[in-house]
Amino acid sequence: MKINKKIIEELTNYLKEFNLTEIEYGEGSSKIKVSRAQSSSSLISEIPQNKKSIENKNKDDSFKVISPIVGTAYLASEPGAKNFVSEGQKIKKGQTIMIVEAMKTMNHVPSTKDGIVNKILVKDGEAVEFGQPLISFK
Amino acid sequence: MFKKILVANRGEIAVRIIRACKEWGISTVAVHSDVDSEAMHVRLADESICIGSHQPQNSYLNVAALMSAVNITGAEAIHPGYGFLSENAHFAEIVTKNGIKFIGPSAELIKKMGDKIEAKKIAKKNGLPVIEGSSESVKSITEAKKISDQIGYPVLIKAAGGGGGKGMKVVKKPSDMEELFAAAKLESKKYFNNDKVYIEKYFNNPRHIEVQIMSGKNRTVHLSERDCSVQRNHQKLIEETPSPVINENVRSSLLEKTVKMVEKIGYEGAGTVEYIYENGKFYFLEMNTRVQVEHPVTEVATGIDIVKEQIWVANTGNTALTQNDIVPTGHVIECRINAEDPSKNFQPSPGLITVCHQPSGFRTRVDGAIFQGCKITPYYDSLICKLICQGRNRTEAIQRMLRALDEFVIEGIVTTIGLHKKILNHEKFINSDFDVNWLAKETFY
Repeated sequence: MKINKKIIEELTNYLKEFNLTEIEYGEGSSKIKVSRAQSSSSLISEIPQNKKSIENKNKDDSFKVISPIVGTAYLASEPGAKNFVSEGQKIKKGQTIMIVEAMKTMNHVPSTKDGIVNKILVKDGEAVEFGQPLISFK
Repeated sequence: MFKKILVANRGEIAVRIIRACKEWGISTVAVHSDVDSEAMHVRLADESICIGSHQPQNSYLNVAALMSAVNITGAEAIHPGYGFLSENAHFAEIVTKNGIKFIGPSAELIKKMGDKIEAKKIAKKNGLPVIEGSSESVKSITEAKKISDQIGYPVLIKAAGGGGGKGMKVVKKPSDMEELFAAAKLESKKYFNNDKVYIEKYFNNPRHIEVQIMSGKNRTVHLSERDCSVQRNHQKLIEETPSPVINENVRSSLLEKTVKMVEKIGYEGAGTVEYIYENGKFYFLEMNTRVQVEHPVTEVATGIDIVKEQIWVANTGNTALTQNDIVPTGHVIECRINAEDPSKNFQPSPGLITVCHQPSGFRTRVDGAIFQGCKITPYYDSLICKLICQGRNRTEAIQRMLRALDEFVIEGIVTTIGLHKKILNHEKFINSDFDVNWLAKETFY
């Protein structure tokens, strides 16, 4: 089938005009489907298969460990206990950096690399979103 | 009757309590955390007050904020629901001292039953069979080994202040004792701020059976039993009544002994006495001094509104029920719908419910707090609603439940609806050939 760029362009314009996420157009035996990648702003989060945090490179270029799940962040295993990590501390990949609690389930968040902690970016007890940076490295 | 009741809870149980109050013309006060301002219980109540931030200790467990809410609104009584402060003796005491009625038993009884060693002593003294094991807390490893040798392995180490499986360790052989004893003590200290532990004989294939009671100064009655043996990590998933595995002799003995015990301790309100059942014998496990999640199973079977009866007893001191009034009919099953993904090891699934269609129809009840557009936040329990179906017999109850589960549409989050269908269609469930450890061994996904 010959691809008709004009039709695609026209359909794309309709997407924007009517604020649609998907549009399908058929003529005879050929069909063209144009769809916009959905902006995932939803609360729904998934822990990656290997349960490791996703690495994130931000504009400031420092390496950050981000939250794999939406929930409440805890810097220590219990109130009054020593924090898992502190600023300036040398840590290893796989080491627990904090706990994110979701629906009474405690999820240990491991560091995704070896390095020195530059800043802890969330407060104890703070609500964190999926993908929110938790700590940054030097 | 009370003119105004404050509901110190959230979610489906808060909605359940508000419904009972409304039917009796009692005004209701909902309390909520900042993230729950749009929640169902807030929308249904006559008044609502924000008592703190999302973390439970700042809001639903915040006694000072709750007492201020009582002061501001002039509520005469507090219904604690289940979980949160419902079994907190300190809270019950403060409420009572302030001249507000706590809908539940006295602080003293909550405290006694909250200490599992103490509760076991009370049960034994009042004629209930208890699990063989230590009668006091076990302090040293030497003592632990001596007791375990006497009763025989495997044994179970349990936290005196515990519940929900925390601080609980199964010891299969003597060489594991040292490590697990220390771990149980540590966990108990951590979760319950009380490192007292005790040791009991471990049961390999127990069923969990419990008796619903209602008690006033005038008398104590039972509302028959519930079988809650479909569990995962000590959390119930499906409950039913009557229990399909006990015969009439066992049942009448169980019910009679339970009523006697509860009567003797001078209990007030609704309560549940939980038992382990194996090889034709039952053993006291613990007593819950509050309304249970699975109370609708009993309500549907008996036609008695347990929450209204709680309020009645709190107001008058007496129960209006007589044992002859209570005639359970048919078979009732409840499925707990949780915002969890059973295919991913029950990973929590918070999010926005984009589509919500709840089942209805003949003998079908939904107790929940969900609606289209509501947000399931990650800060609280994953239970979002309960589906309860009644049949003339167990087979019809299963068929009706499957029909209702099929009608249930929840989009935007993952729930346990699909898992329930698998369980209810499973040969082992249909034949009642399972125990509390079944789900852990079975692969559904």
